[in-house]
Amino acid sequence: MIRRSIPNWLFWLLSIGGIAVLLTCYELVSARQTRINPLQTTIPSFEKLSEGLRQIFRPQGLPENPKPPMFWVDMRATLWRLVLGMGAGVGLSIVVGVLMGAYRWIEAPLRPVFMFLSKIPPTAMMPIYFAVVGTDQKMFASMVALGIFFSMTQSIYQAVRQDVTDEGINKAYTLGASEFEIIYDVIWKQILPKVIDSIRLQIGPAMVFLLAAEMVVGNAGLGYQIRMQSRILNMSVVYVYLAILAIIGLAAEWSLATLRRTLCPWFVE
Amino acid sequence: MESCNAETHALPLVCRVTIPFKVQSVSQYALEIKSLSHVFGSYRVLNNINLQVLPGQIVAMVGPSGCGKSTLLKAILGTDAPTSGEILTDGVPVRGPNRHVGIVYQHYSLYDFLTAEQNVSFGLKLDETTIWMRFLMTRKYFAKRREQNAKAQEFLHRVGLGNACGKFPREMSGGMKQRVAVAQAFIMRPKIVLLDEPFGALDEAMREELQMMLLRFYQENLIAKKEGRRPEYTILMVTHELNEAIYVADRVIGLSRFYNEGDQGAAIVYDRPCPVFSPDDPRDFSKFVKQRDELRKAVFDESYVKDRDKYVTFWKELSELANDAAKA
Repeated sequence: MIRRSIPNWLFWLLSIGGIAVLLTCYELVSARQTRINPLQTTIPSFEKLSEGLRQIFRPQGLPENPKPPMFWVDMRATLWRLVLGMGAGVGLSIVVGVLMGAYRWIEAPLRPVFMFLSKIPPTAMMPIYFAVVGTDQKMFASMVALGIFFSMTQSIYQAVRQDVTDEGINKAYTLGASEFEIIYDVIWKQILPKVIDSIRLQIGPAMVFLLAAEMVVGNAGLGYQIRMQSRILNMSVVYVYLAILAIIGLAAEWSLATLRRTLCPWFVE
Repeated sequence: MESCNAETHALPLVCRVTIPFKVQSVSQYALEIKSLSHVFGSYRVLNNINLQVLPGQIVAMVGPSGCGKSTLLKAILGTDAPTSGEILTDGVPVRGPNRHVGIVYQHYSLYDFLTAEQNVSFGLKLDETTIWMRFLMTRKYFAKRREQNAKAQEFLHRVGLGNACGKFPREMSGGMKQRVAVAQAFIMRPKIVLLDEPFGALDEAMREELQMMLLRFYQENLIAKKEGRRPEYTILMVTHELNEAIYVADRVIGLSRFYNEGDQGAAIVYDRPCPVFSPDDPRDFSKFVKQRDELRKAVFDESYVKDRDKYVTFWKELSELANDAAKA
């Protein structure tokens, strides 16, 4: 029957089973490919993957003058760009989205512009970023910031319009609130869980924009390294980097979900 | 607490509250509406509404659907200005929603992110603290908040929700939410509170409980009046239930287009006192069958076209009652 509940133990068993099946299939396909071509690196075995894992944590350069491992260099570059870009994009989206939802005279001119601009894929705008901002750190940050800005602003604006009722605002006035207090004490607090959710949903697209930019013009970063390693068919490092990306995504999602539960105990999806 | 027996029902007890008492406010009236009309395009919704409400009155407003009750309520609240006319609360013109006019909506409109206690003390926080105080004078702010929360707790006890202080709105029943909404509005001590079909979404048991709460408020008004204080609870309540209107209020007004100039817009065609009950009295609606039938005919009967002032006799009856009381 549709949506019939199953016992918890069975649910967890099936969840673990799903991962086990994926890993087993991968190993079988890898073994088959290796039988056909013992030198293949396209689908490396787990043994080769563990070699890739060791490689990324190995110090680079000569033993007498070691440099930080490849992983730390790439991770630091990517995370810094992501934090900068997301910080700027989220901050700007919150301000503009809330103001658009609160004031009709701000909503009227901005809404059509945002609807138009949000339809342009940010990766297609890369040449414009290169030309206008250059190819340094600012470019990566602005690419992420502007990549998420339009859609996130729209979702915050929608949250303000839908979750904050006219009655709630009128009541706040009758309780003596000023306009700033209505924005901070009523609108912001009501939409906070939606803002956190929106950030969670924007991490994926932000990573796509950032990795794409790093692949094109980066000299460090996860995207840059994936591109460089795939060019020399060192897929054991590429797969490890992909797994790291998945772990970053899961960690960010878990952190934001925890943050939402902590800050908004009243919220139920 | 004064009880309401069969004898006192014969004589509307409204005079107990409405005989002028020691007035501490700028105006004698908590609410005054002067020649208010409202037009939507070419459609005239309200036609020359005049109304005065004294502090401590609980006024019920009834009328057919679409007659303009909500329009009038929004005008009093200050969210939709009337086309012409003036509204004053305590002698001060209403220019927009403000802290002197409270509101309780049918669907509660509590803040989801605040507990019952925080919802009730929210207005006190907005009214008595500033943004600067919250961020720069934190010690003073938190001391003030503790004081405000204690007040909120006390008010929640008064409306029977002493054990629900820490609950979020999603954890409360409709009746509980509505009581929190009432406490939220009244803790601000506004000049008047508007109740917009406050019990419309509740089941019968909850509805009764909240009606009792309003009757208790009325009793507190009576005590305040006796002690020479300004009564705290002045209410204008919109309801569809005629029994509820007469049972809870001390004055009923009817808004309708069914009068001799009805095409000019709705007007107040019924304004009379009604009996006052104590929360301890048995709920017996048969005691005011006559007034309910009169109200139904005057306000809801489309075929009964009459002069608009025929049933607008509140002030006349009031002065007669006051004269009688003085003679006695």
